[in-house]
Amino acid sequence: MKKLWMSIIGTALLQYACEDFVEVDVPDNKIVSETVFSSDELANSAVTGIFNELFNRDLYNGDFRSATMLGDLSADNLMTTDPNEQLVDFEQNQVLVGNSYNLELWSSAYNVVYMCNAVIEGLRDNEGVSVELEEKLLGEVLFVRAFTYFHLVNLYGEVPLIRTSDYRENDLAPRTATTEIYDAVMEDLESAANLLGAEYEGGERTRPTKFTAMALLARVHLFLEEWEEAEILSTQLIGNNGMFSLLNDLGEVFLANSHEAIWQISPLAGGALSPVTHEARVFIINAPPPISQKPVALSSDLIGTYSPRDLRREHWIEVFQTESNAYYFPLKYRTATTDGNVEHSMAMRFAEQYLIRAEARAHQGKLPGAIEDLDKIRERANLEPIWNVAPSIGMEALLDSIQLERRRELFTEWGHRWLDLKRTGRVSEVLGTIKPSWQDTDALYPIPEEEINKNPNLSQNLGY
Amino acid sequence: MKNNRPKPFFQLVFYALLFVSYQLAAQGQAISGTLTDALGPIPGVHILIKGQHSGTFSDQDGRYQLTAGVSDTLVFTYLGHKTVELPVGSHTQINVQLKEDVTALQEVEVNAGYYTVKERERTGNISKVTAEEIELQPIVSPLQTLEGRMPGVEVEQGSGITGLAPTIRIRGTNSLRSDGNHPLFIVDGIPLNSMPLNSVGELTSQAGLDPLSTLNLNNIESIEVLKDADATAIYGSRGANGIVLITTKKGRGNEGRTLVDINLYTGISQAANKLHLLSTPQYISMREAAFENDGVTPTEGNAPDLLLWDRNGYTDWQDRLFGASAFSKNINVALSGGDQYTSYRIGGSFHKQGSVFPGDLDYTKGTVNIHLGQLSKDHRFKLDLSVNYGVDNNHLFFGNNFVNSALVTPPNAPPVYREDGSLNWENWVGSNPLAVLEQPQETKTDNLLANLGLSYSILTGLDLKVNLGYSKLDNQELIKFYKEAYNPSLWDFIALSTNNFSAKRRSWIIEPQAAYTRTVGKLAVDVLLGGTFQNDRNSYLGIEGRGYADRSLMDNLASADESRILANENVDYRYVAGFGRVGLNWDMKYFLNLTGRRDGSSRFGADRRFSNFWAVGGAWIFSGEKWFKDRLPFLSFGKLRGSYGTTGSDQIGDYGFLDTYEATSGAGGLYPTQLYNPEYSWEVNKKLEAALQIGLFNDRADMEVSWYRNRSSNQLVGYPLPAITGFTSVQANLPALVENTGWEIQLSTANIRGRDFSWDSSLNLTFPNSRLVEFENIDRTSYANRYRVGHPLNISLGYRYDGIDPETGLYQVVDVNGDGRFNNDDRVVITDMGRAYYGGLSNQFRYKGLSLQLLFEYIAQKNTSYIFGASAPGTFNNKPVEFLNAWERPGDPENIQKVSQSGQARTAFNNAARSSLNIEDASFLRLKNLSLSYHLPGTVLEKLNVRTGAIFVRAQNLLTFTDYRGLDPQGGTGAVPPLRTITCGLQLTL
Repeated sequence: MKKLWMSIIGTALLQYACEDFVEVDVPDNKIVSETVFSSDELANSAVTGIFNELFNRDLYNGDFRSATMLGDLSADNLMTTDPNEQLVDFEQNQVLVGNSYNLELWSSAYNVVYMCNAVIEGLRDNEGVSVELEEKLLGEVLFVRAFTYFHLVNLYGEVPLIRTSDYRENDLAPRTATTEIYDAVMEDLESAANLLGAEYEGGERTRPTKFTAMALLARVHLFLEEWEEAEILSTQLIGNNGMFSLLNDLGEVFLANSHEAIWQISPLAGGALSPVTHEARVFIINAPPPISQKPVALSSDLIGTYSPRDLRREHWIEVFQTESNAYYFPLKYRTATTDGNVEHSMAMRFAEQYLIRAEARAHQGKLPGAIEDLDKIRERANLEPIWNVAPSIGMEALLDSIQLERRRELFTEWGHRWLDLKRTGRVSEVLGTIKPSWQDTDALYPIPEEEINKNPNLSQNLGY
Repeated sequence: MKNNRPKPFFQLVFYALLFVSYQLAAQGQAISGTLTDALGPIPGVHILIKGQHSGTFSDQDGRYQLTAGVSDTLVFTYLGHKTVELPVGSHTQINVQLKEDVTALQEVEVNAGYYTVKERERTGNISKVTAEEIELQPIVSPLQTLEGRMPGVEVEQGSGITGLAPTIRIRGTNSLRSDGNHPLFIVDGIPLNSMPLNSVGELTSQAGLDPLSTLNLNNIESIEVLKDADATAIYGSRGANGIVLITTKKGRGNEGRTLVDINLYTGISQAANKLHLLSTPQYISMREAAFENDGVTPTEGNAPDLLLWDRNGYTDWQDRLFGASAFSKNINVALSGGDQYTSYRIGGSFHKQGSVFPGDLDYTKGTVNIHLGQLSKDHRFKLDLSVNYGVDNNHLFFGNNFVNSALVTPPNAPPVYREDGSLNWENWVGSNPLAVLEQPQETKTDNLLANLGLSYSILTGLDLKVNLGYSKLDNQELIKFYKEAYNPSLWDFIALSTNNFSAKRRSWIIEPQAAYTRTVGKLAVDVLLGGTFQNDRNSYLGIEGRGYADRSLMDNLASADESRILANENVDYRYVAGFGRVGLNWDMKYFLNLTGRRDGSSRFGADRRFSNFWAVGGAWIFSGEKWFKDRLPFLSFGKLRGSYGTTGSDQIGDYGFLDTYEATSGAGGLYPTQLYNPEYSWEVNKKLEAALQIGLFNDRADMEVSWYRNRSSNQLVGYPLPAITGFTSVQANLPALVENTGWEIQLSTANIRGRDFSWDSSLNLTFPNSRLVEFENIDRTSYANRYRVGHPLNISLGYRYDGIDPETGLYQVVDVNGDGRFNNDDRVVITDMGRAYYGGLSNQFRYKGLSLQLLFEYIAQKNTSYIFGASAPGTFNNKPVEFLNAWERPGDPENIQKVSQSGQARTAFNNAARSSLNIEDASFLRLKNLSLSYHLPGTVLEKLNVRTGAIFVRAQNLLTFTDYRGLDPQGGTGAVPPLRTITCGLQLTL
């Protein structure tokens, strides 16, 4: 029977006449990967694409589901003013396994990892990109990958370490030990520091340089309590005062390409018509809460840490007064509506390097140097230098002051406070007293349930 | 007895029984006679002299009298009977026995796509509904007319919003991919992309827009659904999910006279159901109890409903948000005529329907259709041209449907409007629910379908044909964001903006064919060979405009300060095929049908594009055998048939085999937007069927029982991946086998057939069964926690519910493996969420000119409970009244857990929502359609000078009987319940 059919159909001459007919061109909005990595221009576009997309990816963009928002809510810097359940869960450290913001946070990070891996492989497997550019591009994506894993490992603990774009190798990847992830982060950052140049191209601080990689490496060493390395690296940053400085006018710190920026993410790159930062849009309160688009305010706990003379309180914090309540909100980014772009979202900032070195020095017993670094930050904020008020401060007290200064300096920037509380082992002590439902296991977010559903090799964090 | 058996050929010639007796008569003389049918004399028959307006009616005894000339022709017309024309000649007495106009079921011609076949001779499974049933329903989508009328066909309009695509499944779900289960739609021979149109609106995005909505229901002659291998294999790769063939009405030669059909109706629709929710005092006390139970002090931040809002305020949000009455009107006009060589039909329609939502929302639709037919004098050349054009315009809003807001908004929430008529924002938490009306969404679709069929008979029995089709569908969606949609405090930050989307589908198809028929002795052979070339281009463009100076300028993108392209895609799909069919029959008793197709599709990588599909079908009309005739005289018809074959599916996104980059929305960037897999290929669907068809007592009762088994393997899926791979899915073939089996029963009976009163019934029943037969290593795939081997595809995996904890008062579920956590390993309760069985019962009563049709639909199924459509008891948001019985102390009824907002309570509630407690029986019996018509009697027609006329009242979804406590047993709790519609109207033929 089948033979009969084959012969009838054979006469229809399909096989040969029609094969061409069902061959369609690549659609006009797509370029195949091989073409992308066959020229300098296109390869550069593929990496520009990653930096553009960071403004649209949740972890990075300062919006509701970003490290900035969720980290500061999980810690004690932000509070919700709107009954948004997803956010309230973070605030109360009761993140459910099905929390959709948590899933987006996780997924956006791995999507960026994929883009980085795809570029690394594209550059490896194709000729046609000049060696010079290839090194720069490779350095940039290695940095982004390391930056992403740094946040993943701090938010979730052990996470799958994905280093290829092939889903057949990745889809059932189990979690990787945190030490291994940190090793990979450091390896990427060291390579990036070797591959990247020292200068910002065209003065735009939206692409990382050698120093950006070193700055993150300094932070990684700090987190791993490798004080000596942390000090050496931050010293290299601080020594480069041609490129970086602490700005005296606090109102200018977050402007696009400010001298204090080590790396920024530009709203222009996101392609939105109104290029303002998500932070400005989300944080600035201009009507009585609750407003679902502006669901948070600064906690009174944070406000209480500022002395009245602190310029950061004056410049970076504003209050919205209702009849019964005062809502404090961050004003690091002031421009929530504009026709031109004046502010970039700060991903890494020079001030942090002083705080890193202060802490690294203090741990090594180099207290005078530590005090000097800390005072740089204090003096700029118009606070009395420690050197004047308590020159003989002990190590423990100095470390506490450094943590306090980190909190006051770095609030609503990438959830520093949340990570600092955890790495210094104080998270339960501090949050346990102010968050009624705190449990020790809340220090790590849950692995999103959907991920576990799709990948049975993923285990869940304790307590979920 | 045996000599009385009609020979097959006699059955083909519609009982041409006509008795005429005559006498000589002089010119212009009086003519008289008696008119009868099988039951005796008929009063009220209209007798007309052809070409004149004069005529008369028969009296109580069926007698008539009139004066006519020798050359005149008399036309006898009576409702429900065939019209008879007789030349007067020299007769003075003309007695006529009129024949009832009922085509014996077995003689009905059924459209099988590339060929037609008589019901009696078909070897495949094809169900049909005709214009009479389609026209009875005051609805918009042609697919909805199939609801409850066909065995094996599940049609569901998930929501009461007009213009959304209904879901249709023919013999169950074959593909693991949710958008891989659309049947193939063919309208007058042109395949129409059955994927619902994309829409970005929150109301419309989930279901998508109906690609068939622009067809005129009144212009549909029939809809056939092809189900088994024998019927679908000729469509090869696209037949896996069955085929819906829509045939539009054609003109009929009418001796040069023109017929005008007019159909008008107007009606009213309302949401068919509402829930009982908490009143303000009940709500307030629940909220207060929650704060007290948790030891939390209410503040303006966490309890605006208790501290900021009017504690005595009350709004019935269901009434406010979906309680409006929607008015509808429909006008349909068609002209047809022609002679034996030429025929035409031209029609047009207009339909307008309001909305049950507040605000100025409506749906309008207009259509035009033209058919031309030409037959050459030598009957060799035939031309058929049909053009259908339709436009619809749907005014909606951009936002969630109001149903969810209506169910959760606290009863004492602030008023939606201020006294000056503007939206009130004071104290609203989140957004004012009516704010979305300030984001109007307008969706327009226009659709042109043109088909030209040419055929030429070169030799006796050999016809060459070609079908040329073109379809063009344009869809435009404009969403305007007024700043009034936001809290006034944000207005400074908000520029007026629009999202403009346009989607275009262009498709042409060329199908050359050759058909040959020959009869040699008792053997009849039918051969068809053909080919298909099809080219589709789908384009999509999205543009955002911002910074309009004023609302009135927002229709024009040039008025925007800035605009940017959100998306621009052009997708090409090409498809090529060769197909053939050989139909053989011996002595009109033994039938064999062979079909085959070789297909190529551009959706696959270079080496995987072509594949073969085939089927064998056979039938034996055993009632034609002497043995049966002798022994089973009451059996008027009996046939056994069966088929087996393969079909395929290429319903998957285009270009998934390419590794590509696209431009980022930011300047100068490229980024990968999908994972790629060059290796995937066709999904294969093997279909087996066996059936018995019998007719009893002279075909007064007809029954068909079919058993089928469809097995889908090589499952082509957007294979879900964990996000750690960078994306959440990739296209791939999966080593999984899905089996759908089932029994279908169709029974139609003529219970009473009398002159004045008749009663006909038809019943269909389906017992479907679906099963994931095998799936190698499912545990190691991302499907591990969605499907279970040995169970249906549509299942819910739930925790085992364990009652309320007497200590905490919270829901408990069982930690099956005792590891102290609740996760997939504990989801052990498997519930089939598909239909257990379903059916439809249609009854048609006629008493004189009055006819009544009732269609009931019954579905046995389960659905999720409306309890868990709400959030945990005590939380902000209104709840159903059952929440009043929340647990307070041990011994209390265990319906609802304790009132509490703690994380623990919410987790317990969420766990219970994923447990067996959340599954309810949602079986229902629905009076889907009721139609009462009165056909105007001949005397009135005469006065009005019209041929036929009727007035009617029709109702849709009039009654639903169910134990389900949510809004609707089909839609569940979140969707707009199906609308209850009542219309009345008028139908006239001039």
